[in-house]
Amino acid sequence: MVFSSLFFVFFFLAVVFLAYFTRKNINQKNIVLIAASLVFYAWGEPVWVMLLVFSAAMNWFFALLIGANRGKPKAKLFTGIAVCIDLLFLVIFKYTGFIVENHNMLFHANVPVPNIIMPIGISFFTFQAISYVIDCYWETVKPQKSFKKFLLYLSLFPQLVAGPIVRYSVIEKEIDDRTVTAEDINEGIKRAILGVSKKVIVANSLYAIVDQFFGTDISNLSFFGTWYTVIVYSLYVYFDFSGYSDIAIGLGRMFGFHFDENFNYPFICKNVSEFWQRWHISLSSFFRDYLFYMPIFGQPRKYLNLFLVWFCTGLWHGASWNFIFWGLYFGIFIFIETLIGKKRMKKWNKVLTHIYSKLVIVIGFGIFCFTDLGQLGYFFLNISGISMLTNGNEFWDIVTWNSFLNNLFLIIFAIIVSMPVLQKVKYFFNNWGNNTVYFVGNMASTVICCGLLLLSGILLVDNTNNPFLYFRF
Amino acid sequence: MAENRQVRKKKFNQLKRANVVKFSSYISIMIFFVFYVIAVLFLLVIPRSTESQIEKRSLAQFPAFTVTGYFAGDFTSGVATYYDDTVPFRDDLKTVGYNFKSVFGIHTEEEVKIVGKPIKVVNGGSETSKPSEASKPSQTSKPSENSAAETSKPDETSEVTETSKMGEAEYTEENGIIVVKHNGHYRALELFGGGTGNAYVAALNNFHKDLGDSVKIYSMTAPLASEYYTPSNYSGYTLNQKECFDEIASRFDDGIVYVDIDTVLGQHTNEEIYLRTDHHWTPLGAYYAAETFAKAAGVPFKDLSTFEKKDIEGFVGTMYAFTQDANINNDPETFTYYVPDNYDKCVTEYFDTSFNSTGTGNFFNIVGDPQHNAYLTFMGGDEQIIKVNTNVKNGRKLMIVKDSYGNAVPGYLFNSFEEIYVVDMRYCNVNLVNMIKDNGVTDLVFAMVAYSEVGPNAENLEVLRTQ
Repeated sequence: MVFSSLFFVFFFLAVVFLAYFTRKNINQKNIVLIAASLVFYAWGEPVWVMLLVFSAAMNWFFALLIGANRGKPKAKLFTGIAVCIDLLFLVIFKYTGFIVENHNMLFHANVPVPNIIMPIGISFFTFQAISYVIDCYWETVKPQKSFKKFLLYLSLFPQLVAGPIVRYSVIEKEIDDRTVTAEDINEGIKRAILGVSKKVIVANSLYAIVDQFFGTDISNLSFFGTWYTVIVYSLYVYFDFSGYSDIAIGLGRMFGFHFDENFNYPFICKNVSEFWQRWHISLSSFFRDYLFYMPIFGQPRKYLNLFLVWFCTGLWHGASWNFIFWGLYFGIFIFIETLIGKKRMKKWNKVLTHIYSKLVIVIGFGIFCFTDLGQLGYFFLNISGISMLTNGNEFWDIVTWNSFLNNLFLIIFAIIVSMPVLQKVKYFFNNWGNNTVYFVGNMASTVICCGLLLLSGILLVDNTNNPFLYFRF
Repeated sequence: MAENRQVRKKKFNQLKRANVVKFSSYISIMIFFVFYVIAVLFLLVIPRSTESQIEKRSLAQFPAFTVTGYFAGDFTSGVATYYDDTVPFRDDLKTVGYNFKSVFGIHTEEEVKIVGKPIKVVNGGSETSKPSEASKPSQTSKPSENSAAETSKPDETSEVTETSKMGEAEYTEENGIIVVKHNGHYRALELFGGGTGNAYVAALNNFHKDLGDSVKIYSMTAPLASEYYTPSNYSGYTLNQKECFDEIASRFDDGIVYVDIDTVLGQHTNEEIYLRTDHHWTPLGAYYAAETFAKAAGVPFKDLSTFEKKDIEGFVGTMYAFTQDANINNDPETFTYYVPDNYDKCVTEYFDTSFNSTGTGNFFNIVGDPQHNAYLTFMGGDEQIIKVNTNVKNGRKLMIVKDSYGNAVPGYLFNSFEEIYVVDMRYCNVNLVNMIKDNGVTDLVFAMVAYSEVGPNAENLEVLRTQ
């Protein structure tokens, strides 16, 4: 089931709200959420819902063993086993085809490439499970004795299939004891509607542009067309993924869970390191905490670990070389920025740092976009202008220009909303000393959100198949 | 009153912020609740749509439950699709959405909107995407402007080997759609990417071999509207269709008549010869084509003034769904068709695709909502074979092998042939050679649009000949 569908927004959620908010007991509320989460997952994966339940059972069980053997070598062993099983599932379902293809290519072999369909969201719930097991080993959280409550953590439908990767410590207390205030529900609804609107109104419209120009062979695309489309693509990915995170955070808050932010206006960054502190925060913090600080390579480990982290970051996004290149590409820039040092970079001209960071990010999204390495090659030839010399591609073409004009307001709107403008508006209304201003601001945002939901619903009528980008991870 | 309001406002501002937050949150939740319940009830209670006039399709059905279907995910996805696809007032809501999207940007004076990703095919772009000089038909094989209806026998010296490679792998038959504002009205144009037409040429030559000279074969290909109405700054994105047709005709065997309607239609571009909101030509465009064909076939042909003119107002065709452009929907047109004066004396018999009779009926039918289905007026569509017995007694029997462009043609020929058979190349399960021989057909015309001639549709012709 996808969030951006009428069935989810106006049927599934209605049933869940009705069942959840008519329960008074926290235990019953948790059962409603577990049932809803399993139905939600089974709707798209009627078979692999068992994998989710098995993963939950296995990690819950090993976490109990780790807790029972606290401080003993066995705890390390159990942690290792659990993490290995988690990773094994991930490798089997996500990377087997990729491994076999590369094996065949490297050794000129002809091993049949298995057609394994990846269960949706496996990358997210596997990483959540790993973080939980390691946190239990590190004793930063206590193992959850109730399987039911652990299953709730791992399967909670707002964040199940497309993140953010929620740490157990974040919602540990709220599983047992949570109070939902009127403000929580109000803010949660608005956040979720904002997420749906970002996805349906903005991301889907931007994707139509991307699909028009990057959806087919790009070898003849002009220099301007390539730059235009990759910039639009960067905005699209942001609105698609951050929209999903907004929905997850908003729904979570309505049910009394307070998830951490996953995006913090990444395009206002001044360097690549800062970008990754603002983009998909739950993933970068996962790799930071569970991989970067691990003494895998001994001393000196800092730079080797850095590249390992970025290799894994790329690979996590998909079983394709372009994702690995994408990760390592960012790794190289972060490595260079580390060598230069934060203090020295702060002295740089702000305009230049913004130009530098946006160039790196936008070209990075080009690498992210093309799983076909041949098309990726054309992308670099086009964006560098080389194809104008070698293939006679145009500098500018009227088709791209027309698309640019036809979508100018949309693009400007997307750029403005990707900056902390709404945050500042909200801050103004909330912190103005006058209650009337606050009240008017709140009512205005309520009416605007109703309008956005109505508009999203209308636009969803034309989308029978509208999956989120991050579903494939 | 004003004083009381000031007092209330002052008191409100003196309340603790926490209470105001709580109070305003409750009001917001109430507003959301009412709004959401209305939306949910709208989707649950109002009768669901069953078909879309815009998309010209039946909407999803509620799936039947099977255990295997459930575990394959088909049942659950089918339920979600049913719910999303059959929204009440679906077409109206879609129109609201398209209108909203039309404010996403600014529009030039010509108000051009592009759908798809047209690639340059002539006058620019990479050299590889240009048709080579060798691929252009020689002047000698090009019919003159004045001999449009005449046989344009290709010059024996034309470079068949070279020309047969025209555009191979470089062209696609379709090349995106542009919406332009022309003479104050919006018009959607399918751009033409060209193609080899190899399958078409081979099929027609094979029909000629099988049928011999006893059956006269004609090729009458309708150009897309983009041939005439593409703004000059987009002309590089649509191939010259006349050159393409001429080149393909140059490879026909002796005896196959090339009916050049491209030139004829080009002389009437200031008239409504193409629908603006649909991918077809108008019945008027088909009239000029039929007239050209009648001249080539040497049969009598009635002037348009003898036909009864009928109008369907407010027509919006397929281009609205293809382009999703609100301007197309907001600028409907009049669909005018013409009924021949001997219509009452003609009998139209309908057959299934295996040529089993299903009874007689009207040739001109109003199907469903005429404002969306006006082009179905001719025979109600494509998925059948038609035979028309006219009151003409000249021994000439015509078979029209066509795509939907050809649907508008037969009515003009009711005064020209004794019998007219209409076969859609996509929906026929009988061997056409046998059918032609068994029924004594004397004239065989292939009447289709440009992208059927150069695209996959043409491959069906060989199937019709050999099945």
